[in-house]
Amino acid sequence: MNQLTLQLMNERARVGCKGPRAAEWLSGQGLAIPAGPNSYSFAPDAYGGLVLARLGSSEFFLEHDAAGDTLRRVAAGIATWPPGVYPVLREDCGWLLSGVAAEAMLAEVCSVDFAALDLSARPVIMTLMVGVAVLIVPLSGASDRQYRIWCDPTYGSSLGETLQRVIVECGGAYLGVTA
Amino acid sequence: MAPSRLGHVMRRLDPHPGEWIDRSLPLGFTFEGREYHGFSGDTISSALAAEGVTYLARSFKYHRPRSILSFANHDSNVLLCVDGVPNVRGDVTPLIAGMRIEAVNTHGGLALDKARILDYLGRFLPVGFYYKAFHSRRYFAYWERLFRRMTGLGQVSLHAVRRATPKRYGFCDVLVIGAGPSGVAAALAAARAGASVTLVDEGMRCGGSAVSHAPLQKLIDEVYQSASISVRPQTEASGCYADHWVALVDRVRLTKMRAKAVVFATGVIEQPAVFRNNDLPGVMLATAALALLSRHRVSPGRRIVMIAANLEAYEACLALSAQGIRVEAIIDLRSQQEALDADAEMQNCAALGMEILHSHAPYRAIAGPDGAVCGLDYGPLDPNLRVDSRKLRRISCDALLMSVGWAAAAQLLQQCGGKTRFCDSLQQFIPDELPTGTFAAGRMNGVYEIAARIADGERAGALAAAHAGHGRAGDAPVPRSTRRPSHRFPIIDHPAARNFVDFDEDLQVKDLENAIQEGFDSSELLKRYSTVGMGPSQGKHSHMNALRILARARGISPGELGLTTARPMYHPVPMKYLAGRSFHIERRTPLDSDHAAIGAVWMPAGNWRRPEYYARTGENREQSVAAEVRAVRNAVGLIDVGTLGKIEVYGAQAGIFLDRVYAGRLADLRVGMTRYGLMLDESGVIVDDGVVARLGQEAFYFTTTTGGSATVFRELLRLNAQWGLDCALVNVTGHRAAVNFAGPLSRDILQPLCNVDLSEAAFPYLALREACVAGIAARLLRVGFVGELGYEIHVPAGRAHELWQALMEAGRTLGLRAFGVEAQRVLRLEKGHLIVGQDTDGLTDPIEANAMWAVGMKKPFFIGQRSLKILAARGPRQLLVGIEISAAGRLPRECHLLIRDGEIAGRVTSILRSQTLGKAIGLAMVVPELAASAGELAIRGEGGEMIAAKIVPTPFYDPQLLRQKAVTAA
Repeated sequence: MNQLTLQLMNERARVGCKGPRAAEWLSGQGLAIPAGPNSYSFAPDAYGGLVLARLGSSEFFLEHDAAGDTLRRVAAGIATWPPGVYPVLREDCGWLLSGVAAEAMLAEVCSVDFAALDLSARPVIMTLMVGVAVLIVPLSGASDRQYRIWCDPTYGSSLGETLQRVIVECGGAYLGVTA
Repeated sequence: MAPSRLGHVMRRLDPHPGEWIDRSLPLGFTFEGREYHGFSGDTISSALAAEGVTYLARSFKYHRPRSILSFANHDSNVLLCVDGVPNVRGDVTPLIAGMRIEAVNTHGGLALDKARILDYLGRFLPVGFYYKAFHSRRYFAYWERLFRRMTGLGQVSLHAVRRATPKRYGFCDVLVIGAGPSGVAAALAAARAGASVTLVDEGMRCGGSAVSHAPLQKLIDEVYQSASISVRPQTEASGCYADHWVALVDRVRLTKMRAKAVVFATGVIEQPAVFRNNDLPGVMLATAALALLSRHRVSPGRRIVMIAANLEAYEACLALSAQGIRVEAIIDLRSQQEALDADAEMQNCAALGMEILHSHAPYRAIAGPDGAVCGLDYGPLDPNLRVDSRKLRRISCDALLMSVGWAAAAQLLQQCGGKTRFCDSLQQFIPDELPTGTFAAGRMNGVYEIAARIADGERAGALAAAHAGHGRAGDAPVPRSTRRPSHRFPIIDHPAARNFVDFDEDLQVKDLENAIQEGFDSSELLKRYSTVGMGPSQGKHSHMNALRILARARGISPGELGLTTARPMYHPVPMKYLAGRSFHIERRTPLDSDHAAIGAVWMPAGNWRRPEYYARTGENREQSVAAEVRAVRNAVGLIDVGTLGKIEVYGAQAGIFLDRVYAGRLADLRVGMTRYGLMLDESGVIVDDGVVARLGQEAFYFTTTTGGSATVFRELLRLNAQWGLDCALVNVTGHRAAVNFAGPLSRDILQPLCNVDLSEAAFPYLALREACVAGIAARLLRVGFVGELGYEIHVPAGRAHELWQALMEAGRTLGLRAFGVEAQRVLRLEKGHLIVGQDTDGLTDPIEANAMWAVGMKKPFFIGQRSLKILAARGPRQLLVGIEISAAGRLPRECHLLIRDGEIAGRVTSILRSQTLGKAIGLAMVVPELAASAGELAIRGEGGEMIAAKIVPTPFYDPQLLRQKAVTAA
């Protein structure tokens, strides 16, 4: 088992929306809406599962394997401008951080105590990582936790280079693009 | 030349159980060019002391020889330059093989320091002398240089290699600061309650100064075995901040520790007695002598005299004697009656042959030929705590130890908001009010006996764990000590002074008394005027004695004066730890690699990196920029403008919202059109500008300046929350790429790639269209920032590369060139367009910027409107005008001054040479009278030369806007 690995996952499909009726509309699309703010729902499927993160009360971020068609359908629906639902363009840059030393590595770059998170509550963390605003979705892996880290794409290359440097210093490895 | 030795007064003793040194690992090093040896486990100071080096440093002001005082990082007597790193603290820095060590602040080496003559000139250098004597402007620079050369600490090398250090965030339920008896007990109690505990201590091991106590050792063993306790020795808590945020510095990194509760078991700091020559090498605190002896097996001397005022002094004498070290005499400042708390220890000391003299005090220490202590004059104390100099006796000694009192190490507690009060019976400040979630224990809390300290630690640890949500705890206090561990005035006057209160700053009793006499009679004023407590040790050994001197002068208690403010850092922290890895995060547009591929030369723009221009073989910078400008004017150019802020506003009241935040009218903007927007602050000052486009009845899209996007978005979110309008904001700055495709050929090249009609009739100037360009969903804005027919094309960031390549390919044979920021600056200046933040400043309003055309004063409300009405009534103080310079030669630079009749009449805000116009053009902020005159003016150039210029109307290029409106092309 790897102590620490970082993988780029820009190939995953991302969709966002917000607005006073966004939750209702997404629910109408058959998606499970997280009850509380800053939490996510996870819908397992043949493509590894769809993550629907609720950011605050009325904004949502969805990510899924690009091969799946659920997000294409959702994006097309949002583009029709349903009342009270506004599109949020999501071109985020993303990484998957995993390994038993992930929390130790995160402690070098982020002020959140990830080790203390209760994953059963499916929390979404919006914080700063080396000064960059990031959205972090912690998931339970087979033997350790995994963290999906999303940020504004214009910070992506610089943040990625920084994370790679820290990962290597912490004894981990950068694996490039997710298979 | 190396410092002198004197018969190895200090020396290494035979091995002893519990010593910290590993005699199987000898370490060689040099000090002042001479070779020495120590052992693994030594500090630099202990190794030098063991080698019999008499003195290790020179003092700050008088360059007096100095050696070990506290051996605990509580003084800065032993500051050294180690392998080129200045101001390393020898007392606490572990010895490493091969170290090259030099003294700091010497002129000619430690032994022959030429500046030691200052010790004889002391009467010409009273406290504050530089404030009074060297304030003449004429000679200030001379004196400043002289003082900087003669005083100070180590020199920082400007060629030092940068050492990046990792930084880390840490988390725990309970943080215990101090691993003495109370700290260890607190950590165990908290861990037993189920809390995760971090226990930090400056020392190399747990135990504090109580190193030979069997019950404590058992607790320490338990601490190391506990899975819930992380022990971090050699770790300083350097600063305490709000919400239990504590900066921890170890040998590798700074850890930003966030704890749910904090226990301060920081102990007490031993205080020196003050008497003449109390700084001689060989005069040291009793705790220093015991630490040298027990940890490093270094004997502090062969014949010792103890200056005593508490039980601990007698305990120290017995410990020394047990190791075979002779204690000649104990000079006790207290009467026999006052010393009864140490009655048993006194009897033991007397039985061992130590002479005990009560109600006596040191008068002056005597220096031997090598500068170290060789004797002591002492005499009886009168009721006013003065020594009767007619009844002096002399005793020979080679070490003079002091154990007269303690000061609470409460600085960290104070930093996080804790309050203290002075306890007369203990003669010590003790915690009074503690912030929520913080707890104090041990000697700092006024609990001195070791069993009580352990009990107090257990109490604090259990309370801290309960605060963190683990277990429950009562708050039965542990009684404070009833004996008096600190003397109320261990300070002896001497007519010849050199009785040092502050060893860092060479401050004597008379210095403080003189300052008080001059009116600096509060603790804060005294500190600032005399600099007491402002040296590297920040008053750890001097603050209490200075307070006592001030209190005596004013006839009050130290408690009525109070402690001065304690601020981080508790100990000096190397800057590298604060800098950490020094993350430098740079924003890059999605077209970054496309720019690099065609020779982009980068420039920073805020936190972005942007192409300044594109280098081509055979062209220099100026030629490349000029060619890029020509391409835009004559054919077509392509620039990445993805750095612009890009924000969307949705909702039924989106138009109303924008009408409030922008100065111009936007609610009536037609769908499919754009309009220039000017954003003001409450005082009417221009803070941002951009283009606002209407996507639909309830949807707007607007740009902000490159540097303003985050600030503007944050402010708009605040306003939206405040106003509660039915609209939502989305910041797509990084998610949407944008290019400006501009030039007379732009429409012809773009049309084949685009699925909408670009003709003038179908897509006029300032219109917006949502279309597909090269198969990519895009927003097209027909704008004219560079003064030509042009289209801003906004696409999702992930499609930017395709768009760029498609446009470059389409224009490849038609003279298309990518252009950078520098060419854009030329193009926009030719049009006279202002840049917010460059042509405006923090006071510029739209009236002064000639931008009132973009302001809708008749609107019911917009931010800055009320101020703007007032400003309009007052009239402008300056006006933005165009200027041109016809003469060849060196141009003035931005910010150079405009001069009229010998007075400053304005400043240049933008200037450059336009190849298109064949002259230099610029913008300038000038006084209104000058703007109205439209006449000649002069600009003071870089070398002071006056450059003739004249005010001209703007735009400089295409004033009828025919080109950007494509009138000629239509």
